[in-house]
Amino acid sequence: MNNHTFKVMKFEIMRQLKKPAFWAATLLLPLLIGGIYLISFLSSQNVNKDPTLSEDIKIAITDEAGVFSENTPFVIKGDKEQGIEMIKNGEVKLYYYIPKDFAETKKAEFYHVSEGLDLFNNDNKILKSLLLNDASTKVSDLDRLALTGNFEITDYKLDKNGENENALGKAIIPFAIGIIFFLFIALCGNRFLLNVVEEKENRISEMILTSISAKHLIVGKIFALMVLGIIQILVVVIPILILIFINRDQPFISNILSQIEVDGLSITLGIILFVVSSIFYAGTCTFVGSLTSTAKDASSFIGPAIIMMVIPLYFMQMFMMSDPNFAVQFMTYFPFTAPIALMLRSGFGTISTPEYIIGIIVVAVSAVIMIRLAVRTFQKNAINFGSPRLRLRRKR
Amino acid sequence: MSSNIVEVKNFQIGFNDKIIIKDLSFEVRKGEIFGLLGSNGSGKTTTMRTLLGFYQPTKGEILVDGKKYNPEDAEVTVGYLPEERGLYRKENVIDTMVYFGELKGLKNPREWSEKYLKRVGLEDKLNERVEKLSGGQQQKIQLGITIMCNPKLLILDEPTKGFDPINRHLLMDIIEEHHQKGAAIIMITHYMDEVERLCDRALLLKDGVAKAYGTIPEIKKKFHGKSLDQIFVDVYGGRDE
Repeated sequence: MNNHTFKVMKFEIMRQLKKPAFWAATLLLPLLIGGIYLISFLSSQNVNKDPTLSEDIKIAITDEAGVFSENTPFVIKGDKEQGIEMIKNGEVKLYYYIPKDFAETKKAEFYHVSEGLDLFNNDNKILKSLLLNDASTKVSDLDRLALTGNFEITDYKLDKNGENENALGKAIIPFAIGIIFFLFIALCGNRFLLNVVEEKENRISEMILTSISAKHLIVGKIFALMVLGIIQILVVVIPILILIFINRDQPFISNILSQIEVDGLSITLGIILFVVSSIFYAGTCTFVGSLTSTAKDASSFIGPAIIMMVIPLYFMQMFMMSDPNFAVQFMTYFPFTAPIALMLRSGFGTISTPEYIIGIIVVAVSAVIMIRLAVRTFQKNAINFGSPRLRLRRKR
Repeated sequence: MSSNIVEVKNFQIGFNDKIIIKDLSFEVRKGEIFGLLGSNGSGKTTTMRTLLGFYQPTKGEILVDGKKYNPEDAEVTVGYLPEERGLYRKENVIDTMVYFGELKGLKNPREWSEKYLKRVGLEDKLNERVEKLSGGQQQKIQLGITIMCNPKLLILDEPTKGFDPINRHLLMDIIEEHHQKGAAIIMITHYMDEVERLCDRALLLKDGVAKAYGTIPEIKKKFHGKSLDQIFVDVYGGRDE
């Protein structure tokens, strides 16, 4: 790396790291993620309790149909009126009424005191659960297994060649790379855009370009922002990995972890794609930034580029098809849509290795072109301190 | 070996079909102080920006030490104090100076910057943010950046603009010091007293055309011994024809 590029990199990295705003923006996301995790964790503590086992829930059931076995707890001798009265008195929290013609009508009644808008009330499940438990005591062990579904199924998916296919396991790493790229866009986009505008807004470009070439300045800035972006991503990703590690014994997480398939080639290509896509995105932002004179102008111009980049997400279903249509092919090789299109197709396993490599080459070449454009434009517009105006007609 | 550090040969430039400079030729000799004079919009800054490679000439060429200027492989170091002044506003004074010092290849940029700040009376502003300094103080920082590495060619676009008489004096001392060290200095200014006092030769530009060029006595002689101030008024008031 050129010495000047390295000096620019060092300066840009250090000045950002010293800014409280950088750390505020960096820590905001993990704090948000942590907050959401905490809220969902606390909520799950209440929601995930198995209502049938809870001793806090007082239940009464009037079983006129005789569905339950004799001496079943909760089943009362009284009629429906008495049951409702128990709810009113607060003796019980939930009351079920099973009428005589339950077998024909298949309808029971559930009474409980309203606690606001119970859109997701699970209390209806209690009766079903109690009935299932009761019924399972009357049948053989095998029938009980069939009734309760309390057994495991090992899922073997086969690909076209009859080989064992682990689609989810294969998709995890490519999608994780995709999410990291998305994070990169979200966290760094604005900074890429404003970084070259700053030179013009501060009217410093003339002084700086008599000390260093535009190429080394732009490349140094892009690499510095890439490093800063990676720092920000690590600040977000490391706590997530720690949370995953802490909860590795949770069924959902352990199930996913056990399925992850580490395919060296796919990971290598994924990382290369992430790097070239990030450089392409950085080059695009820098190009737009070097075209305009103010941060305000730059922000309004970059919108369409970002929309193009995320367009593949709106057509996600198309990327699941193993036979890609024209739109998928176009998005795979069109530089602005290619990064996310390639990540999606790699995740869904609907792209061959040669196609994937060609896509990466397209993005890499586009990244180089974009950086060259950014350098040229910055050099040309470096002393364009005024606000540019869009001229639709040529001045005569 | 040429005695000229800058050679402007049949230089022409225009923007949007409007010609700014028409067939301009002049030289700046090594070690001299050269005054580039003209009213606003006469093309002085455009000429200097072309010299530094910001613009490409439509015709002709501008050479620094016989070559087109490129900051990274130029054998002649150039210090440029532009008309449009600016610094990284949110950065510390010392960090900004050290950064520029490193880019310009200064050996001990921190030490040099501290020494310079002391000289211009800003030693207590070392860790201050640039935006907290006054316009004049910021200009001193910019001047410091311009003279780093003892440039062989100093281009100062209205260097005294915004300076009080004391600081103007300080600036003149610094310019004189670099002149003594052998630097060629191109001064773009409206202050004719500065030109008379400091410059060896000068060029008067009007609408992109050289109206007078030579040593100060030669220019005065051409205009019948008038003062430079009077010559300026005559040329730009249209009484030179």
